[in-house]
Amino acid sequence: MAAPIAERRHGFGFTAPLLGLMFIAFNLPILYMLALSIWSAEGGLTGAYYAELIDTPIYMRVLGNTLRISVVATLVNVAIGYPLAYWMRGLSPRAQFIAVALVITPFWISILVRTYAWIVVLGNNGMVNRLLLWSGAVDAPVSFLYNELGVMIGMANVLLPFLVLPLFASMLRIDDRLMQAAASLGAPPRTIFLKVFLPLTLPALAAGALLVFILCLGFYVTPAILGGGKVPMISNLLDMMINQYPRWEQASAVSTLLLVVTLAIFAGYRALDRKVGA
Amino acid sequence: MKRRTLIKATAGLPLVAILRPGLAQAQVKEIRMIEAGGKSGESIEVGYGNPFTAKTGIKLVRESPAPFGKLQAMVASGNITAATFELGSGSLVQAVKLGLVEKLDWAAINPMAIFPEAKHEYGFGYQYYSTGMAWRKGAKAPTNWADFFNTKDFPGKRTLPDYPQYAIPFALLAEGVPMDKLFPLDVDRAIKKLLSIRRDISVLWKAGAQPPQLLKDNEVQYAIAWSGRIVEEKELEFTFKEAAADLSYICTVKGAPKAEQEAVAKLYYEMSVPENQAKAAAVIAYTGSSPNLDPLLPKDKLHIYPTAKQNKDVQWVSNAAWWAENGEAVNKKWEEFKFNL
Repeated sequence: MAAPIAERRHGFGFTAPLLGLMFIAFNLPILYMLALSIWSAEGGLTGAYYAELIDTPIYMRVLGNTLRISVVATLVNVAIGYPLAYWMRGLSPRAQFIAVALVITPFWISILVRTYAWIVVLGNNGMVNRLLLWSGAVDAPVSFLYNELGVMIGMANVLLPFLVLPLFASMLRIDDRLMQAAASLGAPPRTIFLKVFLPLTLPALAAGALLVFILCLGFYVTPAILGGGKVPMISNLLDMMINQYPRWEQASAVSTLLLVVTLAIFAGYRALDRKVGA
Repeated sequence: MKRRTLIKATAGLPLVAILRPGLAQAQVKEIRMIEAGGKSGESIEVGYGNPFTAKTGIKLVRESPAPFGKLQAMVASGNITAATFELGSGSLVQAVKLGLVEKLDWAAINPMAIFPEAKHEYGFGYQYYSTGMAWRKGAKAPTNWADFFNTKDFPGKRTLPDYPQYAIPFALLAEGVPMDKLFPLDVDRAIKKLLSIRRDISVLWKAGAQPPQLLKDNEVQYAIAWSGRIVEEKELEFTFKEAAADLSYICTVKGAPKAEQEAVAKLYYEMSVPENQAKAAAVIAYTGSSPNLDPLLPKDKLHIYPTAKQNKDVQWVSNAAWWAENGEAVNKKWEEFKFNL
């Protein structure tokens, strides 16, 4: 039901200043940075920076590496987050409250502290390795950190709440009676889950996974610390190009490419969403 | 109705935040410096900032860290928030090329005697520091770079700096290239040597505090680190043999207000006083640029300072001009090296 025309105009008057401020303070600087990639030093449009981007194989490989790590981290998140949300749904209301609090509380701690905490836990002298060595399961400390494994663990941990909370909220909204109806029609528990429950949670799962994936693509802090400089992701590359040896035009070209790839993935998701919803 | 009018009236308030406050200040109250931070920054405050404030009444406000991009952003935007910036020798050459720093008026600064290389046209060389081998007490002590890269006889994990200007020459020294024949660098040969120990390279560090922490945690057994971070630690060892001696500069940002530049000249003077340099050296084991500093340093600790006679002679100095020319190409190869680790 659309609001009457008079009320709609009223509403826009209130939001216009804020939208204007956001456009000036947020969108314009980003557009300026992206425009750097096509504006040559002499003045005039140029595709030279993009040509250099394609000519340097390392940049494309790092982008590919980032996409691969993000996909795997997202899948790990889904593998952990979905069962967690499903289990939380089956708890009593008080237990649910405690479980949600446990999922949200890490947000109160700075992301840097959380990331460094992983170094204490997973380091060569850390808790996990000491336990493994004491129990005799391994002879030498296992390298959890400063490689892709460490980066995945850190990213999965930091981004898990982004998947679990929307998923949990959507799972709560699923009526129990739907599953009872399926059971009354003779369906075994596995079929109930696969044919009734899972399809209903799929939109929220897809949205949460997409959010986690996009966050992974641009993630800087956790891969920089837990990767030990050995896991090159696009954000670390951009940091070097902007801060260390400044080639802002190159950095801008890489950023634009990343933005285009992300928008393409998002467009694909929207197309899929519309097809499924139809 | 009244509430709506009030809200409409305050709709324009956020714009006030964009308006810049008036900058008409005849008296300079504070000078801002963007520097590397950590203990090094503290040494600046203790050694040079406090005497400067005591003499002139102007506060020295420090910010950190000092990535090169920040300097470029400041000058490009025209909004100079800090009058001084700390640059390494290679970054200084780049900054001069890009026109980001002001020429220093050495006549106005009128410093006490300092080494000639510290009296750069565009910067004040305030801190000598060394980069070299470090290890835990008790690990087999390496005597040269070939030992450091020899993982069979010297087992253990290593951490290297994520800065090609340090890692590449050290790899070449391990290959047997003599110190005076390092430049022009044979980058491909160095990268091959680095990849040969790829299984034992644990971390590529970016912050100076990382290597001593990793060594203390026994996460790695050997490290390349900055000398001042290691020499004061009781459980760690450092050697100046074949280390890289380098100089850090404080520069004036291009476009800094004239009044601030005059105040900064007085700060530069303080940096040339040997007594102040001795105070700074007490905070972190790096030396200033005065030739008269040695008598003021504690006699029993002379060996930990980069410019002490016994140390200065066994080190080599980088070629900043070569890096300014080839830095970008080397950085691309360095990224590929990290990818292949």
